[in-house]
Amino acid sequence: MKKSHPIRRVVLATAATVSGVVLLLSLKPATDPAGAAAAPPQQAGASAQGGAAAAGSGTVTGSAVQTQYGAVQVRLTVSNGKVTQAEAVQAPKGGRSDQITADAVPKLNQAAVTAQSADIDAVSGGGLRAQAQPGRRGGRQRRHRRGVRRDLHERRLQGVPAVRAGPGEGGRGRCRIRFRGRGYGHGCHRWCRPDAVRDRPADSVPKLNQAAVAAGNADIDAVSGATYTSAGYKQSLQSALDQAGG
Amino acid sequence: MTTTLAGGRAARRQTMRRIRPRRSPAVPLLLAVWAGAAGVLWLWWSNTPAIADQAGKVLNAGRITGLLAGYLMALVVLQMARVPALERRVGSDRVARWHAMSGRYTICLVLAHIFLTMWGYALQAGKTLGDIVQQTIDSIDQLPDMGKAAIGTGLLVLIGLVSVGGVRKRLPYDTWYHIHLMTYAAVFLTFWHQITTGNDFAVEPTAKTVWYVLYGTVTALVIWYRVITPVRLNLRHRMRVEAVIEEAPGIVSVLISGRKLHRMGAEAGHFFRWRFLAPGMRFSSHPYSLSAAPRPSTLRITVKANGDHSAALRELTPGTRVWAEGPYGAMTASRRSRGKVLLVAGGVGITPMRALFETLPGAAGDITLLYRANSTQDLALWDELAKIADERGARLMYAVNSPDGERPDISAESLRRKIPDIDSHDVFMCGPNGFAQSVYEALRGAGVPARRIHHESFEM
Repeated sequence: MKKSHPIRRVVLATAATVSGVVLLLSLKPATDPAGAAAAPPQQAGASAQGGAAAAGSGTVTGSAVQTQYGAVQVRLTVSNGKVTQAEAVQAPKGGRSDQITADAVPKLNQAAVTAQSADIDAVSGGGLRAQAQPGRRGGRQRRHRRGVRRDLHERRLQGVPAVRAGPGEGGRGRCRIRFRGRGYGHGCHRWCRPDAVRDRPADSVPKLNQAAVAAGNADIDAVSGATYTSAGYKQSLQSALDQAGG
Repeated sequence: MTTTLAGGRAARRQTMRRIRPRRSPAVPLLLAVWAGAAGVLWLWWSNTPAIADQAGKVLNAGRITGLLAGYLMALVVLQMARVPALERRVGSDRVARWHAMSGRYTICLVLAHIFLTMWGYALQAGKTLGDIVQQTIDSIDQLPDMGKAAIGTGLLVLIGLVSVGGVRKRLPYDTWYHIHLMTYAAVFLTFWHQITTGNDFAVEPTAKTVWYVLYGTVTALVIWYRVITPVRLNLRHRMRVEAVIEEAPGIVSVLISGRKLHRMGAEAGHFFRWRFLAPGMRFSSHPYSLSAAPRPSTLRITVKANGDHSAALRELTPGTRVWAEGPYGAMTASRRSRGKVLLVAGGVGITPMRALFETLPGAAGDITLLYRANSTQDLALWDELAKIADERGARLMYAVNSPDGERPDISAESLRRKIPDIDSHDVFMCGPNGFAQSVYEALRGAGVPARRIHHESFEM
């Protein structure tokens, strides 16, 4: 039964905790060493099951991809080998998902048509944030991986371009820009929106895009509220494109 | 059931052979806790490839504190789950002190986590520290399960404030206790945001599983040991008040009868948490030690009228039903490591000592009891003690204030004079804190090693 020294204990505990945390933080590098070298993770082209190909009418439907908040399924209208319209026949619903879906899906649809590929980027949505992961860009090159089923989380990790899956911290519309293989200006589509929460001018997104192209190397975090939706959308889109043979 | 053998070396050797001191598992437990903390930090480490800027630093600090707080919160609840391994082997009083310390630390970690995370979000959004309040409100609005977490945190802060020494002393114990029980609700509410909003759990499915297992195990243990086990115990033994006896002014003994009481696993030195189902006493539960060895049909507790509850015990009518939880406590014969034992009791601390005096195995001359009280009238249970001392050949000493109020001299020298070989004794102590502290110092001064001084104190 030793004498207790409460003040001493408090000071020691505080000092130990603070110095421990600071030490841990300082041991981490400022940039991800594995980022640049990593081969782009394969896009999980979801298996063609569930896809209802209606070749005659020129529409093709990708497989439904499960995300944390619900299923996403993309239908493309193809004519003369070009995608003319994209729509989501299934998207997450309920709670915040309604708002996020309403925000994100039109943008994703437009991005799909513009990109003519699954090389689109996540749309930022609600308040959830995620830290951008350099090098973890899915869908940079189309990878045909039919029949390969992957775990949801792996898909999410690999399929989401600029986002380390999941909520956490994040910023105002910071998303990583991906340039398609042919260099700048070939369409750098960044549909990352700043906080859906606050008022933002409607034209901030194109401005962001231009700024990003100009800068050449923006470091933007996607917001993960629509990240899952975006990831699922991309995969479903990919499977639709695979079916269309494009 | 004890056998006291008449003196002689053979007898002493026999007593020694039966003694196998059980070491408290405190050290391995603490090592396990630290290992768990290291695992939690590793979880953060493996999910964070880089930290880019100041916002990243602040956010990651928030994440580390959040993970540690979540881990420790489960342990804080586990400590109070009345797990027998903790209550009987480490000691209820020690576990309660750990609980208080780790509870305070956890609340500080939670507050640090909130501050750092909100600051980090603000920084990432390009704002400054001043916008932290707005950022907090926004986060609570948008992120999943944050509303619940906010309520839970508010509860935790309230519980922490109420447990601060100055406030706690002013509240009646039962009010404080019932507020404190809301910790379960607070933990339940804050758990969900860890899984859904926690960055490290989103990327690592095994981490989610581990977290569910951790909290699920703690929940199961709480339900088993705090709810199911007492119900089983009381249905099995059906205890009732048999008689209430006044031993000395202000000190009453309550005899409790029941079925198969010797099968409860109670030993001398154990205590139970008693709830008497009488009007006005139904909602309060208090710990009292057994003051006699448990017999198949009777248990006895001896209580000093210190507060409302103990004073009300005098008015108990025989036949009142009793709800008991236990046995708890680590100050039992299993802690002994030597043939010779000194029992030191101060005031109402004679209660467990009286039970140990009766049952500790020992030859004549091995057991000594020192009873400190204010005056000879306050020496409760003296007749019984004298009788036991007579039968066993044990020594019985008392120390009271002199008629003009002068305190007896219990110091290293006087102890060594009375008990020359005190440094080869095991010492069991029970009494008010100031008394226990001064006797501890005297014993250490007399040469008794700290590991041989066994003491139970519920002071926080």
